[in-house]
Amino acid sequence: MRLKQGSFLWYLYLDKIYCLLSVRNVKALAEYFHILDVHRKNTLNDVLFYHFLHHVTDLKKAQISVVFDMLDWNAVGEIGFEEFYMLVCMLLARQNHLEGQFMYRHSRPVFDLLDLKGDLRIGAKNFEMYRFLFNIKKQELKDLFHDFDITGDNRLNYQEFKLYTIIYIDKLQKRQKTEEKEKGERKRSLYSKKMSHQVDTSRESLGKKWDLKVQNMNIDEDC
Amino acid sequence: MEEKPSKVSLKSSDRQGSDKESVHNDTRDLWTTTTLSQAQLNMPLSEVCEGFDEEGRNISKTRGWHSPGRGSLDEGYKASHKPEELDEHALVELELHRGSSMEINLGEKDTASQIEAEKSSSMSSLNIVKHMPHQAYWAEQQSRLPLPLMELMENEALEILTKALRSYQLGIGRDHFLTKELQRYIEGLKKRRSKRLYVN
Repeated sequence: MRLKQGSFLWYLYLDKIYCLLSVRNVKALAEYFHILDVHRKNTLNDVLFYHFLHHVTDLKKAQISVVFDMLDWNAVGEIGFEEFYMLVCMLLARQNHLEGQFMYRHSRPVFDLLDLKGDLRIGAKNFEMYRFLFNIKKQELKDLFHDFDITGDNRLNYQEFKLYTIIYIDKLQKRQKTEEKEKGERKRSLYSKKMSHQVDTSRESLGKKWDLKVQNMNIDEDC
Repeated sequence: MEEKPSKVSLKSSDRQGSDKESVHNDTRDLWTTTTLSQAQLNMPLSEVCEGFDEEGRNISKTRGWHSPGRGSLDEGYKASHKPEELDEHALVELELHRGSSMEINLGEKDTASQIEAEKSSSMSSLNIVKHMPHQAYWAEQQSRLPLPLMELMENEALEILTKALRSYQLGIGRDHFLTKELQRYIEGLKKRRSKRLYVN
């Protein structure tokens, strides 16, 4: 899922630690929502919501419909600004590869969104429907339920979900650290190669000069 | 709007007798002349600083600017401050006369330093002038979004809503009140956009 380049949302950005919009960005977003709120109800109906999402992302009709059902948590058939803000944060997190960070920081609201039935459990089918929002692959989802379904009911409660987000972030941070280490080592090795090459070339030139000198001395002696 | 230092002193002397002197000009002159002869004025600092915030902007003026409905309060403020300002003006006049006599006596060396002092005072007056009339404009600009961003949002919204209108017409018909409402809204957006382009 990608945001359309040059669209208004494309210019917004999330804080990388807390995965939230700044006040300025929220202000701009509120103004944008207000412009789209044609009927002056502080909401977007399903048609407006569909055309908005279709315009700014590459999501298909079925996916947009699923997202609308997920966000319409009051079941009124319309999306208010709170839900709109949540959606924008999720889209931006997905765009900027901050899905794991977003789920970790906002595990409760994300859990509540995915808990469609309201029974404080997320089933595998529900998670499968929404994995495109968080860039979770099919195999990764299977592994998730295999590793974290401690109760064994093939569903995740909030503690299991939270544990998953913590371990995901931990793995991510470790991966980032090893990548940084490798980068640093590569730089150091390149630098040491450069230095040794320079030393070798300078030695060579010195050696040549010395040989020339010796030759000249021998010639003088002969003369 | 620039004021040369010599004009400021002339203006302050001219205004002494006028009844229609504005608080704005009086305060500005006061601020200007205060820097010339700080040690000599007997006005307590609290009175000078009362109307100004940390950045040197006149708070009393902004209150007047933002709340036109409180005219009576402002008038009362002006009335209560008039006698004090007249006294201050008398003091300022004395200082100016002293200053002018000193100019003649000291000669060329001091004129340069005085000109510099007058320049700095005129700069401070300029800053105050810049802040006071344009404060409402800047306050409004602070709360507004930048125009290019507004343009981007409106253009995008127009595209989205035009597509939505087609869905409305197909789904609920052209005569439905929601369709008409959307149509009117789109026309309003287009008018606003063309107005902005025309103005640019």
